[in-house]
Amino acid sequence: MNVLGIIFAYAEKDNLRELTKPRTLASLPIGGKYRMIDFILSNFVNSNIFDVSIITKNNYHSLIDHVGSGKEWDLTRKIGGLRVLTPFASPDAKGNGIYNSRVEALAYNMNSIKSSRAEYIIMTDCSTIYNIDYEELLRFHIERHADITAVYTNKILDPSLMAYDMPLLTLNESCRIEDFRLSSDEKSRRTDDFKSSTDDGAAINRSSGLGVFVIRKSLLESLIADAMAYGRFDFYKDILQRLCGSLNIQGYEYTKFFMGIDSISSYMRANLKLLDTEIRNKVFENVVYTKVKDSVPAEYVSGCVIRNSIISDGCRIEGTIENCVLSRGVKIAKGSIVRNSVIMQNTTIMEDVNLNYVILDKDVIVRENRKLSGHETFPVVIEKGTIV
Amino acid sequence: MIYAKKKEMIAMLLAGGQGSRLGVLTKDVAKPAVPFGGKYRIIDFPLSNCVNSGIDTIGVLTQYQPLELNTYIGNGQPWDLDRINGGVSILPPYVKGKAGEWYKGTANAIYQNSNFIEMYHPDYVLILSGDHVYKMNYELMLDFHKETQADCTIAVIQVPYEEASRFGVMSTYENRQVYEFEEKPEDPKSNLASMGVYIFTWEKLKSYLIQDENDPESENDFGKNVIPAMLNAGERMFAYTYGGYWKDVGTIESLWEANMDILDPNVPLKLNDPPWKIYARNTGQPPHYVGDHAELKNCTISEGCMVYGKVDHSIIFPSVTIGSGAKVSNSIIMPNVTIGEGAVIEYAIIGENAVIDRGATIGCVNAAKLSGDHREITVIGQNIRIGALHCVTAGEMVEENTPREELSK
Repeated sequence: MNVLGIIFAYAEKDNLRELTKPRTLASLPIGGKYRMIDFILSNFVNSNIFDVSIITKNNYHSLIDHVGSGKEWDLTRKIGGLRVLTPFASPDAKGNGIYNSRVEALAYNMNSIKSSRAEYIIMTDCSTIYNIDYEELLRFHIERHADITAVYTNKILDPSLMAYDMPLLTLNESCRIEDFRLSSDEKSRRTDDFKSSTDDGAAINRSSGLGVFVIRKSLLESLIADAMAYGRFDFYKDILQRLCGSLNIQGYEYTKFFMGIDSISSYMRANLKLLDTEIRNKVFENVVYTKVKDSVPAEYVSGCVIRNSIISDGCRIEGTIENCVLSRGVKIAKGSIVRNSVIMQNTTIMEDVNLNYVILDKDVIVRENRKLSGHETFPVVIEKGTIV
Repeated sequence: MIYAKKKEMIAMLLAGGQGSRLGVLTKDVAKPAVPFGGKYRIIDFPLSNCVNSGIDTIGVLTQYQPLELNTYIGNGQPWDLDRINGGVSILPPYVKGKAGEWYKGTANAIYQNSNFIEMYHPDYVLILSGDHVYKMNYELMLDFHKETQADCTIAVIQVPYEEASRFGVMSTYENRQVYEFEEKPEDPKSNLASMGVYIFTWEKLKSYLIQDENDPESENDFGKNVIPAMLNAGERMFAYTYGGYWKDVGTIESLWEANMDILDPNVPLKLNDPPWKIYARNTGQPPHYVGDHAELKNCTISEGCMVYGKVDHSIIFPSVTIGSGAKVSNSIIMPNVTIGEGAVIEYAIIGENAVIDRGATIGCVNAAKLSGDHREITVIGQNIRIGALHCVTAGEMVEENTPREELSK
């Protein structure tokens, strides 16, 4: 396919606190053995797009460690392949090459983007897990003679799973987008709009953008050059909102399942949602690739009790787990009871521990007899490497 | 000839065996490609051992049913064997000049690939077979080979005397030099059994391979011909004693046992060993899911599984579904098997992609025959479907679908 994929590895705003302190959003572990970026990279690869650039901004070490050369996603290619773009501090770069907005990020990485052979660009955030066929999206874009195509959804399955920053779109009958507004501009949106609409089951009449755009590369180049020249740095306000009258910006409706992750509670809920077999089948409809760790199969010792949980390779379970999502290499010792929790890689829980609604980051050790309990909307979060 | 960097030692892995004693399990695949240990295939063990021992050039000699094995090995990437110099090469028999021939025996297979070996100008050649499960550092064995200035070093393991007659047995002096070698003797004089792992000084081996090839009486086999010939000629041959876990998984019984050994904390086969990982091609499946009424006891479960039933003392490979109310015990369930609701599976090996329908029983008790301390192992072949409520007697080897209509109540 004639497409360069661009992934923004960070969120402009997120409320993931301790979870995104040691890492950028793209490398946030989720669903057991995955990281956020796995879903997006797999979408590209499953849509036959093998030219992908990841734009990073800060704390991207874990991301680089995770994606490596892109081998596991079949992205080690001579033509195209995977590129990780980091802020580029050259003496003459403005602001030391550090970017604060999407427009600047694209502008500072334009040399690399220009060097791709692709004619079209598909840009995406990585705060949402979705399952889209980009080939079909590109066909739509070309058929509609669109300048820009924005992916939106009307189907808010669960408003609590929406990313905070999702833009709201207003479309006319021919799917042309007439107005963009950032949801963060409407502070009341979440509490009133969505809550009331889901309570009485009525549909929401405004569409939400998923942060996925298709644009011809040459057009993006000129739009970004233009915006930079006039000091207009906001991609949504200064490009989409300003130009939706003059450019043909089309909306492409996404109707399948998605989960936005932008806060501790939405992170917790998204993980627990995956325990639902129907949702899991939707999320894993196509293969989702991730870094291979060559861990051994999970080991269950006599006396363990497992209820409704996802368990990754390399785990060893001697205790009780219920409604949990376990990443690779988690150890749960005898007598411990873990409920409704998300446990990341190589975390060890010793004997007679009791946990409920807890998120344990990587390499945490919970010592004997500890008790931690949070709530679904406010889980206890234990930072990476902590000994409790 | 293509320029290839000189290697001190390269490995030649004999993976052409049919493994006929594994019956239906090797109907469509070569023995080294038989699944083992919850996510591996047997060949992962020698391949990973090589890589972990610093050997990065491996020739895999294939002959019998190579398709699945070739696809599995691919470019060698899962074992880090996609190298610029060396890496893994699949070596099937090929036509030379006007005539081509199959590999007549293990020694002939190496002889036919002398050109491949010569490309790397190795000082030593490591000969391995693709049907053993063990973790071994070949580098230490090479050190021993160099120290003793041997022409051939044979890895040996101590076995009980009563079992020694199943192996090639070595008699040695105190310094481990071999003075006698017997292939499967009726009355073994020693209990040092050959593991089928040899290091040869290449120049020496080459001359014996040529000599062996010119002998029309020879069966062209290492154990039967080449090793005895070298010994008779008075070459320096040493036995290298290996103290770890080693198992020939050539029979249904030993394949089952070796899998069960993984679950036994007293057996020194530890797979969860980060500095000595066993690498395998990944299936790309999500983590497995365990449902509300599942009961798991002393078992290992792999990626992509959905478990709703009971599993006790069993090894479950990737992408297996175990329906609610189903009971699996003392069994090996290979990849992609579906086990229907209420099915009962005891002392069995279920081949890849098999479907056991609702309520079927595998390894029926009423006709149970005892082999040693447990029931005889029942084997269901690859892609076989066992109809609902059907009963398969213990010890049977099922090669054909049992129709759904055939309900035995």
